[in-house]
Amino acid sequence: MIPFEMVEPSSLQEAVGMLDPQDPAIRPVAGGTALMLMMKAGVFAPSRLVCLHRIEPRYSRIALTGSGELQIGAMATLSEVEHDANVAARLPALKRALRRLSNPRVRNVARVGGALAHGDPHMDLPPVLTALGARVTIVGPKGERVLPLERLYSGYYETVLEKNELITTATVPSLNGRKSAYMKVTLRSADDWPALGVAVSFKLQNGAIRDPVIVVSAATEKVTRMTSTEKVLQGAAPDDATLARAGDAAVAEASILADAHGSAAYKRELLRVYMRRAVRQALADDAQRVQS
Amino acid sequence: MNQVGRDIPRLEVRAKVTGRADYTHNLRLPGMLYGKVFRATVPHGRIRSIDTQAARELPGVYRVVTGEDIRKLIPEPYYGPAFHDQPILALDKVRYVGEPVAAVLAGDPHVAELAVQLILAEYDELPAVYDEVAAMQPDTLVHDVLRPAGTFADLKHLQGRKGTNVALDYHLRRGDADKAFAAADRVIEHTFKTQQCLHLPFEPHVAIAEPGDDRLTIYTSNQTPSFVRIEIARLFGWPENHVRVKVPYLGGGYGSKVYVKLEALVAALAMLVRRPVKIALTMEEQFYMITKHPTTFRIKSGVDKEGRLVARSCAVYWNGGAYADIGPRVTQKSGFTAAGPYDIDNVSIDSYALYTNRTPAGALRGFGVPQLVWAYESHTDLIARELGVDPVEFRRKNLLRDGRPQASGTVLQDAAIGEVLDALAVRIGWNKPFDRGSGTLRRGRGIAIGFKASISPTTSVAVVNVSADGSVYLYKSTVDMGQGSDTAFAQIVGEVLDVKAEDVRVVAPDTDITPYDMGTLGSRSLFHMGTAVRLAAEDARAKLRALATEAGLPQGTNYPPAEIFKKRYGMQAGNVIGTASYVPNYKPPDPQTGLSDNVTPFWMVGGAAAEVEVDTETGHVRILRLVNAADCGKPINPGVARTQLSGAAIMQLGFTMSEAMHLDGGQITNASLADYKIPGIGDIPPMENELVAAEQHSGPFGAKGLGESGTFGVSPAIANAIHDAVGVRITELPITAEAVLRALRVKAGQPLDDE
Ligand SMILES: Cc1cc2nc3c(=O)[nH]c(=O)nc-3n(C[C@H](O)[C@H](O)[C@H](O)COP(=O)(O)OP(=O)(O)OC[C@H]3O[C@@H](n4cnc5c(N)ncnc54)[C@H](O)[C@@H]3O)c2cc1C
Repeated sequence: MIPFEMVEPSSLQEAVGMLDPQDPAIRPVAGGTALMLMMKAGVFAPSRLVCLHRIEPRYSRIALTGSGELQIGAMATLSEVEHDANVAARLPALKRALRRLSNPRVRNVARVGGALAHGDPHMDLPPVLTALGARVTIVGPKGERVLPLERLYSGYYETVLEKNELITTATVPSLNGRKSAYMKVTLRSADDWPALGVAVSFKLQNGAIRDPVIVVSAATEKVTRMTSTEKVLQGAAPDDATLARAGDAAVAEASILADAHGSAAYKRELLRVYMRRAVRQALADDAQRVQS
Repeated sequence: MNQVGRDIPRLEVRAKVTGRADYTHNLRLPGMLYGKVFRATVPHGRIRSIDTQAARELPGVYRVVTGEDIRKLIPEPYYGPAFHDQPILALDKVRYVGEPVAAVLAGDPHVAELAVQLILAEYDELPAVYDEVAAMQPDTLVHDVLRPAGTFADLKHLQGRKGTNVALDYHLRRGDADKAFAAADRVIEHTFKTQQCLHLPFEPHVAIAEPGDDRLTIYTSNQTPSFVRIEIARLFGWPENHVRVKVPYLGGGYGSKVYVKLEALVAALAMLVRRPVKIALTMEEQFYMITKHPTTFRIKSGVDKEGRLVARSCAVYWNGGAYADIGPRVTQKSGFTAAGPYDIDNVSIDSYALYTNRTPAGALRGFGVPQLVWAYESHTDLIARELGVDPVEFRRKNLLRDGRPQASGTVLQDAAIGEVLDALAVRIGWNKPFDRGSGTLRRGRGIAIGFKASISPTTSVAVVNVSADGSVYLYKSTVDMGQGSDTAFAQIVGEVLDVKAEDVRVVAPDTDITPYDMGTLGSRSLFHMGTAVRLAAEDARAKLRALATEAGLPQGTNYPPAEIFKKRYGMQAGNVIGTASYVPNYKPPDPQTGLSDNVTPFWMVGGAAAEVEVDTETGHVRILRLVNAADCGKPINPGVARTQLSGAAIMQLGFTMSEAMHLDGGQITNASLADYKIPGIGDIPPMENELVAAEQHSGPFGAKGLGESGTFGVSPAIANAIHDAVGVRITELPITAEAVLRALRVKAGQPLDDE
């Protein structure tokens, strides 16, 4: 490893100022769990790391707003989110996803901002939070902007963030009775990265699905919202026939890639099956209240 | 108190969990340089040039060394246990991606690592061969010249076939297989394959060489210190006693650290620069060191009307990679048992060790036997199904039993094959009904058994030292890498000399101090070294009695040793040294027929039974129960023995379900733990482990080796259970969910696309 500079600004504004929009060798570091692996593998050699550990404590807070939205500070650790009482009570799909995300050692160190900004399509938080309708607040030299999470990702390991922008908060709206689920398919070992992720959320009105959000990850280049599949589900009763059609639609819609986890043909079959299973799991909502 | 049979914790566990245990990784010597290896990027090519200038000029770099520099120091810088085929650094040619081509030395390992990236090598690429069956054709030759080593008694016959990639071919002919096939009621044939995978001990390879004047001390994480001493001395043309090899605890080995690995390289570098040199591999670099043989196994059986196996022919192709390592012995030893633990009069076995352009393959827990059992127990299960016979009954009917000659002609003795099969059937509840699942989740059960010939003829020497207060030392060169050998030996010494095992000081291997041992491999230590240890302790006991007589103590009385010493020397002084060596008898197989009436001093027996649940929509296999059983004779330490059984089974579970090195144009595409998945804690199924009641009459206190037996049955037991559950047969490892789903779809007439 080549020596590099490590700076520890004590405010978010200062941190933004230490980043450089032109220089890819300067990057923010949160938990470092992803960045360190890239450095060890030689794919990233920083000249400067801007460590976010000392920025204002409010960026680590997890709080409920008056309107029932959950605001998660970008510097909250994944364990803090996992063990948060509001998450357990209000967002069971998120809690469940966190409990199977890597292992406690990683969760104790990794931060929400890192988990969202990294852009690896295999990660768990982006699909589940996208399905839950989350927004991210982004701060740069010119001020603040807010994006729906699904618009953050532009490609494989690529986001729309400028090199001198930081995520400060992820805001998750109240479920308001929406059903939700995230299913992660690991193939090679129980703690493997997923070969496929399927996240869903929808309302159930008079036995019909309303306003579904369907998200596919891991098998695709980036976390992808499945709008055609959503149309198939909109207004339909979640019976076997509908779910089979939704599975077919998802397979037709998603660009599934082959990789070390398996062939594209196989992952398409997984998608067909897990499309159905994810909706079924969301419907079994009561059963999904996980014990902490 | 009896020491043998006691369930004591391993003697070194406290030191390990408190962080006090010594490992080579922790050792730093004054003036030490760190070496990092520059590796080949093409699978097969002539070296045109190696440009080291930029690396040499990097501040902090002490020296950059290539194969030609080493050739100036050592004119024939080739090593290996079977063939002297492996250059310390590549010479003239490279033969696999990842082969060491140059080494950078620096005081700071990070500088060395950076400098490695500045080296440029150019090659004239040659055609490469990766597949073991393709390598049978002499179109692409990995080696132009073959150099048999002639080191080991059992490999003296090695020649290598000129103009081929065959390092060794072993042929066994018993009875007349062709005639028996012609007369058989049915002839059934299958082909099975296994993948390339690797050991991955938590402690990657590491070695340090410290130079003296025509002398070297080597500190290394290695399973064969005596061999390393002899081989390094040979390379330099020195007497054995100019090389001292010290081995502390190992963080696992599993066969990856047998014979010379990094030792020749650090030795040559240290002698070139006259400073201590350390090389420690990363986890990722282990993918370029040593692996487990991929295999193709064609197996054919003839069955008569009564359902008896009358003939079996086996053709096994071992993909040995670029250097033979110990592959020829794997090929021959496992060749003896390729037809399985069945009583078959007509057997023909052809077993080939082949060179290819891959990372070399060597010994990995089971020494080839798991690859064989995978094929013959999958095959045996398929035969039973085709005949419509219960698979366990079919095995019972054809089982090889004590007193009957095995395929090689060696009569089976103390091999509890039937007992292991019975134990598995009872524990899994073979004859009891069980929940077969419903809908998309289907359950099934499978059983598999295997056996293995031990390694022979090999030598072990032990020294037992009783000091003047009666406390005892044991000197041996067996390496305790976590398998518990130090503890078992202490129990054996304690039993003979009537002291507590915990009070026996077991001295770590140090070739200046501890006597010769062939190596810690092939489950041989407890039997071979264990016997030497028992004999050495008995020798010490006899000498203590003689000392008592010398001291004028009355015969037959039971004075404690301390009093004997005091009486003899007038104070607390002196030692009694007991020594012994052990080498079992062996008869080399006849070069024509491959037969011998004494191929092994003992047989290892192991098996597994599995209950699985298959998701028919995804191919996902969940293992609901895994039962492991083995014959280890009378266990010296039942607790440690059971953990050997479960540990071996878990290791094989990884090779069964997930582990595979993927190759693309000779490049390993998943050389990291992120993409080469070993089982995690969440993948360990509920397990039961049984040591069947047995005795190895020729072993120390009735015991024999066990380190590998738990691997034998796991893979085919699972494949057999999958077949039982959903009616499809997987013939190639690993059994991925995708492979299962594809097989299900083929069966349903709706095959999946390739891509
Ligand atoms: C062994 C292991 C297993 C894993 N398994 C899983 C798994 O199963 N599922 C899963 O989802 N993940 C998994 N991960 C990945 C893990 O979730 C990520 O490494 C982690 O979330 C990254 O967070 P971090 O704080 O450590 O990020 P860092 O490594 O600090 O940063 C990651 C990236 O985000 C940028 N960044 C960090 N914070 C911000 C911010 N506030 N604004 C803008 N950019 C920022 C950094 O510059 C960097 O590019 C695994 C990781 C490991 C090491």
